[in-house]
Amino acid sequence: MKKVRNDQFFSNLEKFVNKVYPNQPQRRPYLNLKSWPSPKDEAWKFSRLGNLARKNILPFDFENQQDFNINKLIKDSISLVFVNGKFEKKLSDKLLSEIVIEEVQIEDFKEIINKFDNLSVKNHPTLNSTLSCSEKFFKIKFKNDIKFYKPIEIFNLGGTENTSIHPFIFIDLDKDTDVQIFQHYSTYAGLLAPFEIINLSENSNLEIIKIYDDKINSHNLSLTLSVIKEEANLRSFALIKGGEFTRSEMHTLLEGENSNADINGIYLSSGNQHHDLTSCVYHNVPNCKSSQIVKGVLGEESTAVFQGKVRVEKLAQKTEAKQMSRAIMLSDKAVSNSKPELEIYADDVICGHGATVGELDEDQIFYLSSRGISKQKAKVILIDAFLNEMISLSISDKFHDIIYNKTKTKINKLLTNEYE
Amino acid sequence: MAILEIKNAELSIDNKKILKGLSLNVNEGETHAIMGPNGSGKSTLSYMLAGRDGYELDNGSITFDNIDLTPLSPDERSNLGLFLAFQYPVELPGVSSTNFLREIFNSRKKYLGENELSHLDFIKFLRKVAEDLSIKDEMLKRYVNFGFSGGEKKRFEILQMALLNPKISVLDETDSGLDVDALKIVSEGVNNLKDKKNAVVVITHYQRLLDYIKPDIVHIMSDGKIIKSGDADLALYIEKNGYSEILNEKS
Ligand SMILES: Nc1ncnc2c1ncn2[C@@H]1O[C@H](COP(=O)(O)OP(=O)(O)O)[C@@H](O)[C@H]1O
Ligand SMILES: [Mg+2]
Repeated sequence: MKKVRNDQFFSNLEKFVNKVYPNQPQRRPYLNLKSWPSPKDEAWKFSRLGNLARKNILPFDFENQQDFNINKLIKDSISLVFVNGKFEKKLSDKLLSEIVIEEVQIEDFKEIINKFDNLSVKNHPTLNSTLSCSEKFFKIKFKNDIKFYKPIEIFNLGGTENTSIHPFIFIDLDKDTDVQIFQHYSTYAGLLAPFEIINLSENSNLEIIKIYDDKINSHNLSLTLSVIKEEANLRSFALIKGGEFTRSEMHTLLEGENSNADINGIYLSSGNQHHDLTSCVYHNVPNCKSSQIVKGVLGEESTAVFQGKVRVEKLAQKTEAKQMSRAIMLSDKAVSNSKPELEIYADDVICGHGATVGELDEDQIFYLSSRGISKQKAKVILIDAFLNEMISLSISDKFHDIIYNKTKTKINKLLTNEYE
Repeated sequence: MAILEIKNAELSIDNKKILKGLSLNVNEGETHAIMGPNGSGKSTLSYMLAGRDGYELDNGSITFDNIDLTPLSPDERSNLGLFLAFQYPVELPGVSSTNFLREIFNSRKKYLGENELSHLDFIKFLRKVAEDLSIKDEMLKRYVNFGFSGGEKKRFEILQMALLNPKISVLDETDSGLDVDALKIVSEGVNNLKDKKNAVVVITHYQRLLDYIKPDIVHIMSDGKIIKSGDADLALYIEKNGYSEILNEKS
């Protein structure tokens, strides 16, 4: 087999951009990244991209021929469908007039990107590849003509093993709006590089639930940059269960006082899967709160990473930042890494963090079995409880069962394989 | 007829002998009390009966309704009709009490070949049983034992006993941490479940529980063995004179 060089994808990307967008110089700066981050790069130490580098991947460049079934989780939601990274109006629901989906240019959101003055953002392969090669950049704007919207479900579909797909979306909430979004990642792509920008205006509320369930050969390098204004509230929850390698990376900037960000998640990892939740929250102003809480269940030879960083600027007094990770290991071959990082320059702050890794509690298993429950069933109950607590804490009650059911099949698989 | 027969049970934990040849027979319809100083192995005995990992016998035998218990797992023993009220009930954060109780109730029904109750019928039944034990609805909405007071935990154990309707119940210091009113409620709960076909073994330090749950036979346990057995008066004697005289008598 022909050996694939570490920079192969990036030279494919450059050729692609030169051919398809010869007259768009605004894309060129994002072709400066020439190779994948290496394990020497602190941000990627625990999540190595060797397998991805060895794939011979080209940006997806043909017309979609496939049909897709859109399986909504919520009956009355509005679906927005992206196939191979491109918005498919035909497959999507009709939008209400209060929601505007429009094409924007890099110039229109560059200012937001520049607020994240940090190399791990600037050199992120998703930011660079998606800005250089995504066909169109879409913005969904929620106007404050109405306060409550129907939930939105965004579907990312399509892809093939040898292609990369690059959906971009800019989610922009007007003042006082209240929005719920589900993001489904269910592609076959060798590389899915979804880049999202979120702007929460004063006193807006966004609950975003991301379900990472790509097919087993996929790499998903999701990147989200959020900016949060005064009194606004971001509630983000990631459920990672699919793909060969999934990293959900979120950078969240609290730049208005009394704002709040919850960046929580669950990973369920089996086989050789690698799952990574990476989150940085930047407290730039006083009186804000954030939480980064992650729970995971690992089986077989899977690996998982939680990297949680909180940076509290000198100005940001009365910050409350909470961080916690807990992992349950169902196999002694699985590996969980947790890297909390606190960078605090203010003195009047409350920051808590903790990490635990362990097996299921033997006393709890015994207690349940002493009541006639089989050991296997006891484990299911305890894992359910572990996840349920997290789901209740992280998302609205009305979505609780939907997300809980999404964990169910994976948990059963994890426990069955434990005995193989 | 004997429900439980323990013969010469020997058990060690971390190579330390804890049970040193303990024998006990419990017949249908009987109430037994086991008393003894701290560390004499009473809880160890209860874990051994329930089939906890690491509490396997080195020597001796245990049978339940003439079935050898030793190869059976804790859930199988529970299904046969053995119940242990824990000295320290285990907290299960995230597990709703009501769901947990329905799960154990229905799995027992299934084992007995009886019909499971519908959700609604179960809730009605549960309310009734809980009310008798002065357990409020609010408590059933919480997670199992999570944030329960000592007394609440003990009442919750008896609630489970009532739902499972076991043939033999071992109550490990169920009276500790209860005030007089709670003690009365719990004892009544146990007495209401008692009939000619089942049996109860109470492990306790105090006569005051035995004022409510009247034992037929009282055993004194020390250093991994039962050193003396007698009728209810033996407990009164201990209450008055302490263990030392009986312990000295033996050595
Ligand atoms: N898990 C354990 N590991 C080591 N020693 C134990 C363990 N459990 C009990 N023991 C020891 O076994 C003896 C009996 O304890 P226990 O059965 O709790 O007594 P009791 O219930 O009568 O107070 C004590 O010496 C105690 O220290
Ligand atoms: Mg004890």
